[in-house]
Amino acid sequence: MKDSVVIKVQSDPKYLSLVRSVTAKMGELYGLPESTIEDVKLAVDEACSNVIKHAYGGDTNKNILVKYRVTKKGFEVLIEDNGIKVQPESIEGRNLNDIRPGGLGVHLIKRAFDIFQFDQRKRKGNRLRLVRFAK
Amino acid sequence: MKIEVKDYQGMKVMALSGEIDMYSSPALREEMMGLINKRVTPLFVDFKGVSYIDSSGIATFVEGLKGMMSYGGRLKLIGLLEGVKEIFGFSKLDRVFEIYGTFEDALIS
Repeated sequence: MKDSVVIKVQSDPKYLSLVRSVTAKMGELYGLPESTIEDVKLAVDEACSNVIKHAYGGDTNKNILVKYRVTKKGFEVLIEDNGIKVQPESIEGRNLNDIRPGGLGVHLIKRAFDIFQFDQRKRKGNRLRLVRFAK
Repeated sequence: MKIEVKDYQGMKVMALSGEIDMYSSPALREEMMGLINKRVTPLFVDFKGVSYIDSSGIATFVEGLKGMMSYGGRLKLIGLLEGVKEIFGFSKLDRVFEIYGTFEDALIS
Protein backbone atom coordinates (compact mmCIF):
# COMPACT_ATOMS: atom_id res chain seq x y z
CA MET A 1 0.00 0.00 0.00
CA LYS A 2 1.22 3.46 -0.84
CA ASP A 3 1.75 5.94 1.96
CA SER A 4 -1.02 8.48 1.67
CA VAL A 5 -2.89 11.18 3.57
CA VAL A 6 -6.11 12.90 2.54
CA ILE A 7 -7.56 16.13 3.88
CA LYS A 8 -10.87 17.74 3.00
CA VAL A 9 -11.19 21.49 3.56
CA GLN A 10 -13.91 24.00 2.96
CA SER A 11 -13.20 26.30 0.00
CA ASP A 12 -12.70 29.25 2.31
CA PRO A 13 -9.39 31.16 2.10
CA LYS A 14 -9.15 31.11 5.89
CA TYR A 15 -8.30 27.41 5.67
CA LEU A 16 -5.37 27.90 3.31
CA SER A 17 -3.03 28.23 6.27
CA LEU A 18 -4.19 24.78 7.38
CA VAL A 19 -3.40 23.34 3.94
CA ARG A 20 0.03 24.95 4.10
CA SER A 21 0.73 23.46 7.52
CA VAL A 22 -0.28 19.96 6.43
CA THR A 23 1.71 20.25 3.20
CA ALA A 24 4.82 21.35 5.08
CA LYS A 25 4.43 18.52 7.56
CA MET A 26 3.97 15.96 4.80
CA GLY A 27 7.08 17.25 3.05
CA GLU A 28 8.97 16.96 6.31
CA LEU A 29 7.73 13.41 6.92
CA TYR A 30 8.77 12.41 3.41
CA GLY A 31 12.22 13.90 3.89
CA LEU A 32 12.06 16.75 1.41
CA PRO A 33 14.76 19.39 1.89
CA GLU A 34 13.70 22.58 3.71
CA SER A 35 13.86 24.81 0.61
CA THR A 36 11.80 22.29 -1.37
CA ILE A 37 9.18 22.15 1.38
CA GLU A 38 8.76 25.94 1.13
CA ASP A 39 8.31 25.77 -2.66
CA VAL A 40 5.87 22.84 -2.44
CA LYS A 41 3.87 24.53 0.34
CA LEU A 42 3.49 27.69 -1.75
CA ALA A 43 2.58 25.69 -4.85
CA VAL A 44 -0.20 23.73 -3.11
CA ASP A 45 -1.50 26.98 -1.59
CA GLU A 46 -1.59 28.54 -5.07
CA ALA A 47 -3.38 25.53 -6.54
CA CYS A 48 -6.04 25.62 -3.80
CA SER A 49 -6.43 29.39 -4.21
CA ASN A 50 -7.05 28.79 -7.91
CA VAL A 51 -9.75 26.25 -7.07
CA ILE A 52 -11.50 28.82 -4.85
CA LYS A 53 -11.18 31.62 -7.40
CA HIS A 54 -11.77 29.82 -10.68
CA ALA A 55 -13.42 26.42 -10.15
CA TYR A 56 -15.74 27.65 -7.38
CA GLY A 57 -15.94 31.30 -8.47
CA GLY A 58 -15.30 32.47 -4.91
CA ASP A 59 -17.93 30.25 -3.30
CA THR A 60 -16.54 29.51 0.17
CA ASN A 61 -18.96 26.69 1.00
CA LYS A 62 -17.62 23.98 -1.29
CA ASN A 63 -15.02 21.32 -0.62
CA ILE A 64 -11.45 20.81 -1.71
CA LEU A 65 -9.79 17.44 -1.36
CA VAL A 66 -6.02 17.34 -1.06
CA LYS A 67 -4.32 13.94 -1.25
CA TYR A 68 -0.66 13.44 -0.52
CA ARG A 69 1.25 10.31 -1.34
CA VAL A 70 4.67 9.01 -2.08
CA THR A 71 5.07 6.90 -5.18
CA LYS A 72 8.06 5.52 -7.04
CA LYS A 73 8.12 8.75 -9.00
CA GLY A 74 8.27 10.99 -5.96
CA PHE A 75 6.06 13.26 -3.88
CA GLU A 76 2.57 13.49 -5.35
CA VAL A 77 -0.29 15.86 -4.47
CA LEU A 78 -3.76 15.51 -5.95
CA ILE A 79 -6.14 18.46 -5.61
CA GLU A 80 -9.77 17.77 -6.35
CA ASP A 81 -12.86 19.94 -6.60
CA ASN A 82 -16.37 19.70 -7.95
CA GLY A 83 -16.44 23.12 -9.53
CA ILE A 84 -16.31 24.48 -13.06
CA LYS A 85 -14.16 22.42 -15.39
CA VAL A 86 -10.83 24.05 -16.05
CA GLN A 87 -9.59 24.14 -19.63
CA PRO A 88 -5.92 23.22 -19.23
CA GLU A 89 -4.97 25.04 -22.41
CA SER A 90 -6.35 28.27 -20.94
CA ILE A 91 -3.94 28.13 -18.02
CA GLU A 92 -0.91 30.17 -18.73
CA GLY A 93 0.97 32.41 -16.38
CA ARG A 94 1.87 35.91 -17.43
CA ASN A 95 5.21 36.62 -19.03
CA LEU A 96 7.29 37.37 -15.96
CA ASN A 97 8.70 40.44 -17.70
CA ASP A 98 5.18 41.83 -17.95
CA ILE A 99 4.76 43.59 -14.61
CA ARG A 100 1.12 43.46 -13.65
CA PRO A 101 -1.00 41.95 -10.87
CA GLY A 102 -1.94 38.28 -11.36
CA GLY A 103 -0.67 35.41 -13.49
CA LEU A 104 2.11 34.40 -11.11
CA GLY A 105 0.50 31.42 -9.37
CA VAL A 106 0.95 28.93 -12.22
CA HIS A 107 4.67 29.77 -12.40
CA LEU A 108 4.99 29.14 -8.67
CA ILE A 109 3.27 25.76 -9.02
CA LYS A 110 5.34 24.67 -12.02
CA ARG A 111 8.64 25.59 -10.42
CA ALA A 112 7.89 23.29 -7.45
CA PHE A 113 6.50 20.31 -9.35
CA ASP A 114 7.80 18.40 -12.35
CA ILE A 115 4.33 17.22 -13.38
CA PHE A 116 1.36 19.63 -13.55
CA GLN A 117 -1.51 17.75 -15.10
CA PHE A 118 -5.30 17.82 -15.03
CA ASP A 119 -6.83 14.35 -14.98
CA GLN A 120 -9.30 14.41 -17.85
CA ARG A 121 -10.95 11.21 -16.60
CA LYS A 122 -12.66 13.14 -13.80
CA ARG A 123 -16.12 13.81 -15.16
CA LYS A 124 -17.28 16.52 -12.78
CA GLY A 125 -14.93 19.14 -11.44
CA ASN A 126 -11.16 18.93 -11.58
CA ARG A 127 -8.35 16.73 -10.37
CA LEU A 128 -4.96 18.40 -10.57
CA ARG A 129 -2.03 16.04 -10.27
CA LEU A 130 1.25 17.48 -9.09
CA VAL A 131 4.38 15.36 -8.82
CA ARG A 132 7.82 16.32 -7.65
CA PHE A 133 10.26 13.68 -8.82
CA ALA A 134 12.43 11.96 -6.26
CA LYS A 135 15.87 13.38 -6.80
CA MET B 1 -1.59 38.88 9.50
CA LYS B 2 -1.33 42.09 11.48
CA ILE B 3 -1.13 45.53 9.90
CA GLU B 4 0.03 48.52 11.90
CA VAL B 5 0.32 51.98 10.35
CA LYS B 6 2.75 54.29 12.14
CA ASP B 7 3.89 57.85 11.58
CA TYR B 8 7.58 58.65 11.43
CA GLN B 9 8.36 62.35 11.11
CA GLY B 10 5.28 62.91 8.99
CA MET B 11 5.88 59.81 6.84
CA LYS B 12 3.80 56.64 6.84
CA VAL B 13 5.20 53.27 7.80
CA MET B 14 3.05 50.18 7.34
CA ALA B 15 4.40 47.39 9.56
CA LEU B 16 3.22 43.90 8.62
CA SER B 17 3.53 40.64 10.47
CA GLY B 18 2.39 37.09 9.84
CA GLU B 19 1.44 35.46 6.55
CA ILE B 20 0.12 37.23 3.45
CA ASP B 21 -2.18 34.97 1.46
CA MET B 22 -5.52 34.98 -0.32
CA TYR B 23 -7.25 35.28 3.06
CA SER B 24 -5.26 38.21 4.44
CA SER B 25 -4.42 40.16 1.27
CA PRO B 26 -7.85 41.87 0.92
CA ALA B 27 -7.30 43.61 4.29
CA LEU B 28 -3.79 44.57 3.23
CA ARG B 29 -5.10 45.92 -0.07
CA GLU B 30 -7.76 47.98 1.67
CA GLU B 31 -5.25 49.51 4.09
CA MET B 32 -2.65 50.21 1.44
CA MET B 33 -5.03 51.59 -1.17
CA GLY B 34 -6.53 53.82 1.52
CA LEU B 35 -3.10 55.43 1.97
CA ILE B 36 -2.44 55.54 -1.76
CA ASN B 37 -5.78 57.22 -2.42
CA LYS B 38 -4.55 59.97 -0.08
CA ARG B 39 -1.45 60.18 -2.31
CA VAL B 40 0.89 59.30 0.52
CA THR B 41 4.58 59.34 -0.41
CA PRO B 42 6.91 57.84 0.47
CA LEU B 43 5.17 54.79 1.87
CA PHE B 44 7.43 52.45 3.82
CA VAL B 45 6.34 48.84 4.21
CA ASP B 46 8.13 46.99 6.99
CA PHE B 47 8.28 43.30 6.06
CA LYS B 48 10.42 42.12 8.95
CA GLY B 49 7.54 40.19 10.54
CA VAL B 50 6.28 38.64 7.29
CA SER B 51 7.11 34.94 7.08
CA TYR B 52 5.14 34.06 3.96
CA ILE B 53 3.71 35.68 0.84
CA ASP B 54 1.75 34.14 -2.03
CA SER B 55 0.83 35.47 -5.47
CA SER B 56 -2.22 37.34 -4.14
CA GLY B 57 0.06 39.28 -1.79
CA ILE B 58 2.52 40.00 -4.59
CA ALA B 59 -0.37 41.18 -6.79
CA THR B 60 -1.50 43.53 -4.03
CA PHE B 61 1.91 45.21 -3.96
CA VAL B 62 2.07 45.44 -7.75
CA GLU B 63 -1.30 47.16 -7.71
CA GLY B 64 -0.10 49.48 -4.95
CA LEU B 65 3.08 50.33 -6.82
CA LYS B 66 1.17 51.09 -9.99
CA GLY B 67 -1.21 53.31 -8.03
CA MET B 68 1.69 55.22 -6.49
CA MET B 69 3.51 55.60 -9.79
CA SER B 70 0.47 57.45 -11.14
CA TYR B 71 1.30 60.40 -8.87
CA GLY B 72 5.04 59.96 -8.64
CA GLY B 73 4.89 58.32 -5.22
CA ARG B 74 7.57 55.99 -3.86
CA LEU B 75 6.85 52.64 -2.29
CA LYS B 76 9.76 51.35 -0.23
CA LEU B 77 9.86 47.74 0.99
CA ILE B 78 12.05 47.07 4.02
CA GLY B 79 13.51 44.05 5.79
CA LEU B 80 12.25 41.20 3.60
CA LEU B 81 13.15 37.78 4.98
CA GLU B 82 15.01 35.50 2.59
CA GLY B 83 11.99 33.39 1.59
CA VAL B 84 9.85 36.44 0.84
CA LYS B 85 12.67 38.17 -1.00
CA GLU B 86 13.16 35.07 -3.10
CA ILE B 87 9.54 35.24 -4.32
CA PHE B 88 10.02 38.88 -5.41
CA GLY B 89 13.19 37.79 -7.20
CA PHE B 90 11.55 34.82 -8.92
CA SER B 91 8.75 37.13 -10.10
CA LYS B 92 11.37 39.55 -11.44
CA LEU B 93 9.75 42.18 -9.26
CA ASP B 94 12.96 42.95 -7.40
CA ARG B 95 13.77 45.02 -10.50
CA VAL B 96 10.76 47.29 -10.14
CA PHE B 97 10.32 47.58 -6.37
CA GLU B 98 12.59 49.61 -4.15
CA ILE B 99 13.81 47.01 -1.63
CA TYR B 100 15.97 47.93 1.35
CA GLY B 101 17.56 45.98 4.16
CA THR B 102 16.82 48.51 6.88
CA PHE B 103 14.54 51.44 7.54
CA GLU B 104 17.61 53.71 7.74
CA ASP B 105 18.71 52.64 4.25
CA ALA B 106 15.25 53.33 2.89
CA LEU B 107 15.12 56.69 4.63
CA ILE B 108 18.33 58.08 3.14
CA SER B 109 17.79 56.85 -0.42
